[in-house]
Amino acid sequence: MTARVVFKKASRWYGPVMALNDVSFELGPGVYGLLGPNGAGKSSLLKLASGQLRPSQGTVELLGRPAFGSPDVFHSVGLCADTDAFFEDFTGLQFVSALLSLNGFDKAQAHKLAMEAIEIVDLKDAMHRKIGAYSKGMRQRIKLAQALAHRPEVLFLDEPLTGMDPQNRKRISDLMKRLGDEGRTVLVSTHILHELEQVTRRVLLIHNGRVLAEGDLGEIRDLLDRHPRSVRIKARDSRGLAQALVALPDLVSLNLEDATGHLMAEIKKPDAFFTKVQELSAKHGVEEMWVTDENLESVFSYLVSK
Amino acid sequence: MTAEVEVLQVRPLWGGARDMFYIAIERMLPRPRSFWVFMLLALPVFFGTLLRIYPPKGLPLTGFELYGMVVALFFVRNLLPLVALLFGSALISDAVDSKTLTYFLTRPISRLSIFIGEFLAYIVTVLTLTVPCVVMTYLVLCVGTPQGAGFGAADLVQDLGACALTLFTYGGVFALLGVSLKKPLIPGLLFLFVWEGFLANFPGDAPNYTISAYARSLIRHRPAEEGLAELFSKFFGVGESVLVLGIVGVVALGLAVWIFSRREYVISS
Repeated sequence: MTARVVFKKASRWYGPVMALNDVSFELGPGVYGLLGPNGAGKSSLLKLASGQLRPSQGTVELLGRPAFGSPDVFHSVGLCADTDAFFEDFTGLQFVSALLSLNGFDKAQAHKLAMEAIEIVDLKDAMHRKIGAYSKGMRQRIKLAQALAHRPEVLFLDEPLTGMDPQNRKRISDLMKRLGDEGRTVLVSTHILHELEQVTRRVLLIHNGRVLAEGDLGEIRDLLDRHPRSVRIKARDSRGLAQALVALPDLVSLNLEDATGHLMAEIKKPDAFFTKVQELSAKHGVEEMWVTDENLESVFSYLVSK
Repeated sequence: MTAEVEVLQVRPLWGGARDMFYIAIERMLPRPRSFWVFMLLALPVFFGTLLRIYPPKGLPLTGFELYGMVVALFFVRNLLPLVALLFGSALISDAVDSKTLTYFLTRPISRLSIFIGEFLAYIVTVLTLTVPCVVMTYLVLCVGTPQGAGFGAADLVQDLGACALTLFTYGGVFALLGVSLKKPLIPGLLFLFVWEGFLANFPGDAPNYTISAYARSLIRHRPAEEGLAELFSKFFGVGESVLVLGIVGVVALGLAVWIFSRREYVISS
């Protein structure tokens, strides 16, 4: 394997706070999952990998160069960061085209590549609208489009599916898988195991700034299935959706929040549940779905204690 | 072990700066901040027009003198440094605050290109806002009036040069402040009103250490200073002023680039 992303004993502090501790791994072509609860150090790891931060100790290399201070590597690297930040007055097409121009593409090339990327993330209908008027899911997709548009060999995706509806989750998951199959390196951070399972078996498990394990998802999956998980769903017809879901055998509890109108479900077997929600999404207008990570946290605590 | 992906060279400095400029100017010029600053800069045009329509009896100043007063006191001494503070300190800090800096730092352009593109956008923006207001003030107060006779276009051009140099120098200083501090606005205001406002009118050599003293020296037809300012104000030659303002601006910009090129920006959700 030819390594494109190499961490060697990399540590990172923010003042007295240690965000990453003695992390070493190598990534070649393919899709890799970076799995860990909130605050585990996933975003810090991605910031080091994408050259936004320099390691306090150790080294981080990207395409054979030190990741920090090597802008040349960004011809071949794309980043979908975790921040919800945009040029709000730009249209989706302007936004992606403008960033492509920074990669050195002329106006015609930038327009063509931007259109392709926007089509991939299914935003063609909204590409002439200002980003300020986009929904959360659309903002996430345009952010993904700018990361993909220049066809990078290495892609860093920080929680890329946040706020997306089930159809787009599926679409983007399939895209990640396809990019991995094409030989690109894709590092996806998430705290949702189910999302990761659809695109890869290879995972880096991170907790409290340390990489606990590198390897197959199967073992973690087994652990997680023993812990119920909480899912929040935003749908136009929450009551109808609740009626349709209530009969599922692995549903532990189901509540409709009065204040937000969101459904809160506690589930045991996520596969069946997510498949069912996907089937019902068009009928009941499912707009967003989040998996809260309190239970993932408990699995990590368990793994750490092991 | 090496990566098999061919890594291209970082983009040429000016190509990257040009593309960065186009993005920056689009984000800087058509914004509410620009609109309000323009309205402020256009106040002399408004009041000058009123003066032309309803000329007061016994006004002791000619149109030319009034124009000189407006350029020296309103534009160069007070408003342009403030405009430079608003736009110059925001060059990088706006991108940090809006968390969009990441988009620029993860592209194959050097940080120097990013900075140059942003600073050029700043210069174009502030000149686009300032030049029409100064020219309109001149037209309203001087052209077509008996008082304006004898006032040449060369003076207007020199005034515009003085305004541009003032904006450049203060812009460099505030850009330095913007890349160095998280919240540059308050220190910038303190610098303007405490350091510049106070020292420029202090006896002895104190004005030598202010930008304001050199900037106001560039206005040939400035009004006579009054009160304490009359006693203490110090003026320099045009050549010396241009040199000092140029050097201060370039050194401040150099330091700003040096800091920006090395600094980590921790931008998180």
